Amino acid sequence: MNTASEITPGPPVTFKVDGEPLEARSGQTVAAAMLAAGRRVLRHTRHQSKPRGLFCAMGVCFDCVMIIDGEAGVRACMTKVRDGMQVVSPRSFEPYECKS
Amino acid sequence: MQIMTFQIETDIAIVGAGPAGLSAAIAATNAGASVVVLDEYAEPGGQFYKQLPAEFAVSDRARLGDDYTKGDALLGAVRKAGMTVWNETLVWGSFDPGVLSVVRGGKAGTIKARKIIVASGAYERAIAFPGWDLPGVMTPGGAQTLVKNQQQLPGKRIVLAGSGPFLLPVAKTLLNAGANIAAIFEATRPREWARHALRLWGHWDRVAEALQYRRTLAEAKLAIQFGRIVVRAEGKDSVERAVVMNCDAAGHPIAGSEHVEPCDTLCVGYGFIPQVQLTRLLGCEHRYDALRGGWIPRHGPDMRTTVEGVFVAGEVAGIGGAYAALAEGWLAGLNAASELGRSVRSSAVTSAYRDRSMRRRFGDIVNSAFAVKPGVFDVITDDTIVCRCEEVTAGEIRAAASAWSAQVGAIKGVTRCGMGYCQARICGHLLAELTARATGSTVEDVGGMSVRPPLKPVRVGDLADLAHKAGS
Repeated sequence: MNTASEITPGPPVTFKVDGEPLEARSGQTVAAAMLAAGRRVLRHTRHQSKPRGLFCAMGVCFDCVMIIDGEAGVRACMTKVRDGMQVVSPRSFEPYECKS
Repeated sequence: MQIMTFQIETDIAIVGAGPAGLSAAIAATNAGASVVVLDEYAEPGGQFYKQLPAEFAVSDRARLGDDYTKGDALLGAVRKAGMTVWNETLVWGSFDPGVLSVVRGGKAGTIKARKIIVASGAYERAIAFPGWDLPGVMTPGGAQTLVKNQQQLPGKRIVLAGSGPFLLPVAKTLLNAGANIAAIFEATRPREWARHALRLWGHWDRVAEALQYRRTLAEAKLAIQFGRIVVRAEGKDSVERAVVMNCDAAGHPIAGSEHVEPCDTLCVGYGFIPQVQLTRLLGCEHRYDALRGGWIPRHGPDMRTTVEGVFVAGEVAGIGGAYAALAEGWLAGLNAASELGRSVRSSAVTSAYRDRSMRRRFGDIVNSAFAVKPGVFDVITDDTIVCRCEEVTAGEIRAAASAWSAQVGAIKGVTRCGMGYCQARICGHLLAELTARATGSTVEDVGGMSVRPPLKPVRVGDLADLAHKAGS
């Protein structure tokens, strides 16, 4: 990227997606960090179990909702990665496990 | 148990920190009113002046390029004027006149304002086609946001399609970031806009911008392919190719013209839709304005809506572009402050009216040149998902609409189309279009979508504090 010399992302962080560790930089959103790691499928739909990815990337469409630190329905495009964050990719109609 | 709620009072609450909202905030603050700006994103600027995350370091701001620096003057004026700007704040409801319910950092609270300026902007008009739910298919604005805000290219081989001048700045942002754009497909043809060309006389700053985009595309050896639309996306777990067809003047695909374009990212957008959920919730009257993007709150040239004390500014008041939004925000800010008894120079108001009319005229020229062609909805087959949240197909909607011959509210209830997380922001206009066609009615006559709080999902736990406080 031609602006790379001028823009430095924040310090490295490690978060987990479905238990697999991913390296990211702070300031990155979960969706962008996953895309950077080559992961385009963010979830599977509830009824038909179809893969879905980033669609509007600005918090409108809710297609990128994931389970983040135990909370379901969180938009990956609006949530910045944090060190130790646990992200779970929702799959079809199994009940979401939420921490109290 | 610690109760975490807040109640704030202010002269003017402004919803949205994009060009319209920030412009209104500066005008009103400078006139002496107390102002609180509320915005859902992490950084102010909206989509047009999208900023980098605060965590990213910038060595030389002057060399960042105009994608970033064009907002500097406005954001600098915001800091200088010194109003309160609350980011990561969701306005989710309003249960009493002049009172907004908000959630901010896990705390729920209310903001009581003597005037409310809604500057909630717009979102992209996505028109369904088979395969539009595949990962890798996204909106052009989404791709631009990934690059501008996150410095992340959306993919390795990108196709841009749809219609409207917005595809040009998106292409420029992507190219400047080193992206490989395989093709750009635009549904309209230049000869269709030729009749509007003379009306551009006087709008020289906008014309210069268009010429600059033309240069950027020429340097990248990219030629826009006019009169072509995406009819299908194909791929296994994500998009692998776009199928495009030539279309006639009304947008109908022409048989036998199929062309396959391999890609891993397909961005399709047909302009913008005003984000009217809050103005509906506040009880403003709305009217259908096809030229300006659909349902908009009725408002006068002074930006007052039909609800006492509620103003609108920018894209929510009808699609007109960022410069119309800046002008309208300024006007709304001055008028709201003036209604509060603050002294506002009449010459400032007069010139704001003039500026607004000029920018709106330009917006309308662009809107007419790139009006959505009815034929582009032909590509929606019965098994195409229309409501992405609830996985409702076009076939289900068509069947329900034919059987019930009703307005969109009823078809929504029967099919669940529009009842998911996004609250019909993406599929609402498609539901209206399909319902109108199935019942032989018009999009205006099948009605708009009703709105209920919360405007976007909020945590029950956050609201529990509010209920506890109210009950105590």
